Amino acid sequence: MRRALPVAGLTAARRALSRQSDLVVSFGFYVIVVGVLSALWRAAAESHHGSIAGYSGTALTWYIAASEAATVALNVRMIEYIGQDISGGAVAVEMLRPAPVVLVRLASEAGQGVARVIPLAGLGAAMSTLVAGGPPSLLGATLALPALGLAVVCNLAMQHAVAAAAFWTRDARSSWFLYQKFVFVLGGMLLPLQILPGWLQHVAFSLPFMAMSYVPARLASGHVEPLLLAVQLGWLVVAVAAAVAMFGAGQRRLQVVGG
Amino acid sequence: MRSTTATLRAAFRDAIAQRGAFWSQVGAMVVNDIVWVAFWLIFFHRVGRLRGWDSHRILLLFAILTTSAGLGLGLLSNCRRIGQMAAEGDLDAMLALPVPTLGHLLVRRVDTVNLGDFAFGVVLFAIVGARRPSEVGIYVFGVGASVLIFTGFLVLTGSIAFYAGRSQVGDLGLHAILLLSSYPANVFTGAAKALLYTAVPAAFVAAVPSHLLVSFSLGEAAVLAGAAAVFPLAGWAAFSAGLRRYTSGSLWTRA
Repeated sequence: MRRALPVAGLTAARRALSRQSDLVVSFGFYVIVVGVLSALWRAAAESHHGSIAGYSGTALTWYIAASEAATVALNVRMIEYIGQDISGGAVAVEMLRPAPVVLVRLASEAGQGVARVIPLAGLGAAMSTLVAGGPPSLLGATLALPALGLAVVCNLAMQHAVAAAAFWTRDARSSWFLYQKFVFVLGGMLLPLQILPGWLQHVAFSLPFMAMSYVPARLASGHVEPLLLAVQLGWLVVAVAAAVAMFGAGQRRLQVVGG
Repeated sequence: MRSTTATLRAAFRDAIAQRGAFWSQVGAMVVNDIVWVAFWLIFFHRVGRLRGWDSHRILLLFAILTTSAGLGLGLLSNCRRIGQMAAEGDLDAMLALPVPTLGHLLVRRVDTVNLGDFAFGVVLFAIVGARRPSEVGIYVFGVGASVLIFTGFLVLTGSIAFYAGRSQVGDLGLHAILLLSSYPANVFTGAAKALLYTAVPAAFVAAVPSHLLVSFSLGEAAVLAGAAAVFPLAGWAAFSAGLRRYTSGSLWTRA
């Protein structure tokens, strides 16, 4: 198993980079969404004498570039597809391998996600520099790089934990929609968590979604807070443990008709 | 026309056949839209007025966008798949039918998820906008124009696959117009703003109709009506010309 996971990750990373048409769509979408959202937030900062909730227009541009890179790097409907694999029986075939299903899947998806997030981060940095200026803090931008990787893996693990509900419900079609909305708002993808009303900020800071978008974005926006990386690591351990536990319990009760 | 109506009716019955899945998907989309409304309320609560926009104006924009996107992507859901179908040779079965290909293709499939958008948009407008009969009339006109522009644009970008083979322009076009039309158009300046009124007509999908609701002018309504004529015509022309280049995939089809 020690070799299986890195091999799965590397193979998936190569596969992701070779699918040029997929890359074109996700890069194009990324450029549009960062262009739109950062313009909105810059206009908001401008109307508040250059700063809102402690973020300048430049900081907000770097924030959005990082938060979007962390989420656009992943397949938005992954929970639905994992659910289809569970209810359709594909997972049963994967159980024949001499390695835990969920860990191989996580390694493979993490390989693809990290392979996509690196060029997206480069693209975001170029866009931000072009429209708003260089990074507010070089150290913060440097810390944002490992945070982006952790955000991607944390998000993947939590999506697997949520999708594993399909072992019981047989259907995960709608849950990806709701999950994404938690990442969008409570994860800080659309807006810095400091913008939220006080009570909602407390809720957002105590949930794992902040590790999936807010942390790399906060660091990239010039707030040098290395402790955030430790918070991400903590949530990563929780998310992987939840995914392993959910898949373990689900696989024990899996029944596939036909084949 | 009768065949188109019959096809749409059959597609609708097919879509709602599994009631549990239908309601869960509609419900998920409504929750999705509520989250967006919450985002905008939080945004304007914190920011205040921004370049003439406030929470009321953005909710009007959102009511028009969800209603028209719900109609376009819900009842005419194949408009987003034209590129994929052209590239994979999925149009074969429709070419054999004695009906106009594009019309039949558009109504052949109903997407239940987007009907949640439609329902949400109507309810949201009833709450925030429908104060006078004239506003209801402007809303109906704006939504009608918006659906025509939105669908025409997606047919146009999807039809590029007839010429370029497997093309991602259709997917990008969908993402671009949905995303750009869901934000206040005057956040943008210069070339980006010009783009929203021309190549990617996102401003006509929601910002212009919502502005008509706030401050109606005949000139702006005429421009909107013009765009609602140009984009469907362009889409139809691109599809019809592209269909002459179409080569079969010898597939009987998921359309």
